[in-house]
Amino acid sequence: MTSMRLQRMPLAPPRVAFALRVLSVVLAILTAALVLWGSGHNPLALGAKVISSTFGSSFGLEDLSLLFSPLIYCGLSVAVALRIGAWNIGAEGQFNFGALCATGVALFVSGPVWVILPLMGVAGMIGGALWILVPTLARAYADVSELITTLLMNFVAMLLVYWLATGPWLDPSGMALATTSRLPVSVPAFWGIVHWGLPIAILIAIALSLFVTYTRWGYEVRIAGANPGAARYAGMPVRTQLIGIMLLSGALAGLGGMMEVAGTVGRLQGGISNNYGYIGIMVAVLARAAPIGVLATAFFMAVLLNGGIVLQSQGLTTHTVLAVTGLILLYAAIGDEAAHYKILRTKAKDG
Amino acid sequence: MISTKSLSRRGFLNMGVAAGAGYLLPKTGLISPAHAATPLAPVAEEDAHIAFGHTGPTSDEGWTWAHDQGMKAVEAAFPKLRTSYVESIPYSADATRIFRQFVADDANMVFATSNYGDFLYDVANRAPDVAFYECDGRSPLENLGTFYLSHWYPSYVAGIAAGAMSPSGKLGYVASFPVPSVYSGTNAFLMGARSVNPEATLQAIVINSWFDPQAATQAGTALIDNGCDVLFGIMDEAGYLQVAEERGAKAVMWNTDLRRYGPNAYISSIIVDFKDFYVEQVRRRLAGEWTPTQDLLPFGNGVDVDAWGESVPAEVAAKADAVKASILDGSFNPFVGELKDTKGNVKVAKGATMSEQELYHWNWSIEGVSGLDS
Repeated sequence: MTSMRLQRMPLAPPRVAFALRVLSVVLAILTAALVLWGSGHNPLALGAKVISSTFGSSFGLEDLSLLFSPLIYCGLSVAVALRIGAWNIGAEGQFNFGALCATGVALFVSGPVWVILPLMGVAGMIGGALWILVPTLARAYADVSELITTLLMNFVAMLLVYWLATGPWLDPSGMALATTSRLPVSVPAFWGIVHWGLPIAILIAIALSLFVTYTRWGYEVRIAGANPGAARYAGMPVRTQLIGIMLLSGALAGLGGMMEVAGTVGRLQGGISNNYGYIGIMVAVLARAAPIGVLATAFFMAVLLNGGIVLQSQGLTTHTVLAVTGLILLYAAIGDEAAHYKILRTKAKDG
Repeated sequence: MISTKSLSRRGFLNMGVAAGAGYLLPKTGLISPAHAATPLAPVAEEDAHIAFGHTGPTSDEGWTWAHDQGMKAVEAAFPKLRTSYVESIPYSADATRIFRQFVADDANMVFATSNYGDFLYDVANRAPDVAFYECDGRSPLENLGTFYLSHWYPSYVAGIAAGAMSPSGKLGYVASFPVPSVYSGTNAFLMGARSVNPEATLQAIVINSWFDPQAATQAGTALIDNGCDVLFGIMDEAGYLQVAEERGAKAVMWNTDLRRYGPNAYISSIIVDFKDFYVEQVRRRLAGEWTPTQDLLPFGNGVDVDAWGESVPAEVAAKADAVKASILDGSFNPFVGELKDTKGNVKVAKGATMSEQELYHWNWSIEGVSGLDS
């Protein structure tokens, strides 16, 4: 007699993980199709519509790219923190505060565009880093869980943006509601309405990937994340690494906020972050915190979100669309976890 | 219901006559010089696609529901055309995506039932052959019109009843954002209340949303805890009415008749009706007459006060109805100075009448309102 049991492996074999990932997406889409079919829609026609609207026109591709860009920044932000074992749930807040600081520069500093734009980028990064500074120090010196502190900071940042955009920084012209004036400078577009925020995001992802793979810094971060005790024993500056990487994490989300306000939206207003910070958590987790992987999962999420918008214009409610996206992520998460297991056949002692 | 026969002189249906020659809204102050723009080309009814973008869900029994009724009226009037809608559109770049998607789906006319600002403006700017309308819009284009309601008049009338029914003289207001529709609503309501109780004050709480039943309920609770006994607001749903009912307070609502959610608390509602407006604008678009307008649907024809709630005393109702009649026949205008802001500065001189334009763009609180000016 043989019986089977499951054994969990610490690392999932990449090939199995990839196969399961593909399988889970296919299964999720099939389930969603069944649900849609059951509720009286034609899933094939809807699917074709999503694909043709997203990839079939420069319109769709531009929209996709504009979604892709902030998801990369937020995904990278969460991913780098994850490499040292820190959960940055606050990318949303850092994104908002980065956008806020960049807007401050744009509205109140005058100068040539080639000075103001980089200055806004720096302001966005400093803003993002500042917004995670307190959670970082609390984690580094008092071991306070950054999971809660970064999350709570989100609400503060969001309300700050609402307050500034509807109060002191309100567009005085009366031609726009609950928003600041249009920023006098913007990140230039290179294709249609797609601005340079996207290629810069991709370059940052590639650079980060090289750094974490090939540098001593990347190695130390990885070890400090995997086993802080051992890393400390080996003489690695665990606390310094933690502080550095968390501030970098905040800066990345802040830069994303700057690109969104200066490239896509053009004004600072409440709701500008559009939940990118929270979606960034999914992006990073699905990418297993690998910067290059973030490019793939951010693209995948952008297709999903854009598909959701197409579906809504076809008469599906937001709730249905949320359910479909949720389903796909649920299947992907199950697939990821399943990849860690292998089936062992064992002989029973006696029959 | 509102009858098109009882058109006041501010009636918007005049516009059809004036197509292509500018548009008239006598006495609203919103008359724009005639655009040089030629009307958009006509569209055959069976080829037409009319799209609606909403801020909330169509099931809200309030604002979005009322706009959805407008879409249904368009479908009934033009059964061969195609309609589509998207609900719960956030005020983010997602709004741009959705409006662009409408354009990509060959929409001939797009109605945004809330102010989406640049998110709509940028799309309209790139789609000159599509007619756009923005509710509460502020930045018109050659192909982007705006429409809204003279809701300050019914708010003033409801304020009279509220002032008479508030023993404490403390009114509460659940606000979405500090925007002109909220300033004009709070100011008009308090002015109505002060016409019967000169000591009345109004406290507002801003919840940063038009549709957030939970936050609206919390805000309503906080206002009543603070001593307010009549609530008003500009929410798309009935949340704070239920709070008022539970706590023995009164409430004035927006959009639709919501008395079943709080029969004792219900005073009235600012009733909205976009059906005639939508049907007329779609007709103009199909006929090849459409140029953008900047409309304010007038008191009595698009926006009105609802029938009074069962707890409103007859003499209070009679008094408010008399004022309503005098506003409608033009013999009385409540928005006449002297009006001071919260810091005591005179903003409208004694005897000066605020134009509809000023009322539409009202962006400061009158003396006695707290919680809006930052």
